[in-house]
Amino acid sequence: MILHVTSIGLLACSLYAQAPVNPGLAAVRQFEDRVAEYMSLRAKLKPESKPLKPTPSTEKILAHEHELAKRISAARADALRGEIFTPEVAVEFRRLIAITMHGPDAPAIRASLIRAEPVWLKALRVNHLYPHDVPLQSTPPSLLLHLPSLPRELQYRVVGNALVLLDVGADLIVDYLPHAIDPVP
Amino acid sequence: MRRRAIVFLLAAWMAGAAAKIILPLKPDSVRFAVIGDSGTGGAAQREVALEMEECRKSFPFDFVLMLGDNIYGHKTSKDYLRKFEEPYQGLLAAGVKFYASLGNHDDPNSTAYKPFNMDGKKYYSFKKGGVLFLALDSNYMDPAQLNWLKSELHGSNATWKICFFHHPLYSHGKMHGSDLDLRKLLEPIFQEQGVAVVFSGHEHVYERIKPQKGIYYFVVGNSGELRVHNLRHSPDTAAGFDTDRAFLLVEINGNSLYFQAISRTGETVDSGELAAPQHSGSTVAAR
Repeated sequence: MILHVTSIGLLACSLYAQAPVNPGLAAVRQFEDRVAEYMSLRAKLKPESKPLKPTPSTEKILAHEHELAKRISAARADALRGEIFTPEVAVEFRRLIAITMHGPDAPAIRASLIRAEPVWLKALRVNHLYPHDVPLQSTPPSLLLHLPSLPRELQYRVVGNALVLLDVGADLIVDYLPHAIDPVP
Repeated sequence: MRRRAIVFLLAAWMAGAAAKIILPLKPDSVRFAVIGDSGTGGAAQREVALEMEECRKSFPFDFVLMLGDNIYGHKTSKDYLRKFEEPYQGLLAAGVKFYASLGNHDDPNSTAYKPFNMDGKKYYSFKKGGVLFLALDSNYMDPAQLNWLKSELHGSNATWKICFFHHPLYSHGKMHGSDLDLRKLLEPIFQEQGVAVVFSGHEHVYERIKPQKGIYYFVVGNSGELRVHNLRHSPDTAAGFDTDRAFLLVEINGNSLYFQAISRTGETVDSGELAAPQHSGSTVAAR
């Protein structure tokens, strides 16, 4: 009996070892790991990265934002596009976005994108500030339902046809995925 | 400083007479104003603000809902001064509280700006009398916010549940129109959890929509910005105004909500009374 159970156990282990890894799931895990690394780095910048207490001083708000951005961008001085949206992650994200953009919700999402005042920037640069005078296009909620969830400090934002990973507190472009979304007229 | 004073006096003169308030002014009612797309820092915004001040003399409202795009363009301290603190200095000095929601032109970190009363949150709720107000961030309606919204609404037995946010679920503005994706997710929650009224901006006009699935929708996106003649004719429009700036005054007493939309020059462009939803259809009697 013991031998029988052990055999089944060994067989299961062997099958598990040979089971193909879902590349989509692996990519999402890789993305989540990279995001966690970023958040860990961000946390090391405390106490400056603590949420700002409400203040009537806009100078304080801007100073806090700039200080946080300065520290993060200095700590990631060599950051390149694709460090979080790695090639594997990019494939999976484009697949997830395509499912959403070509599924039954597609017309509503497209209309939402158009009506949200599409934004184009001359150049998107990792580790650079998102310009304050340029509006932030809203992200279609149906799209957010299909993408991996993010810590509240980060948001997915649409800029042109790119998906931008934005550090909201620092107003900093953490990474971006070009050609993620079909262009809207 | 002197130049600013002259501009203000000129704006006051141009704004014209105060509107005749036709709201009932019942004792113990919840009274507030609604503005949207206000933060231009231009003369028209200041004129609207002065008209609000004038109206407050006969309709003492306690707070103002801001429907987003509270500060357009740059976001320096001077901008906050010119696009918020100066235009509304009379109201702020009188102790009127402003409750802001975020528009696509706003800095997400403006949630930490104390005069916006957001307490550092992109979405939040507060209660006044028997009315529950929920400020939503329609720029980023992620699953976390949707869950929070459901929980807040479910846990409330308020007679009136009012949501306010930037992007309209229903609008007949030519520039943007309705946000269908947002509607698809929010409308079922609103229906299920008894939301009675929704205020939005984004479209630079005033529009009151005929009740949709028992919910009253207002677009007030012309308290600073304006797109002249931008309203498309629709049988779903109960009232519209797209030739000047406007704001809305609201009074809630028991099961009745009274509203009066007033233009920059003090003209009443819409008014009426709404009944609290009974979950079996609602009525509106527009004057």
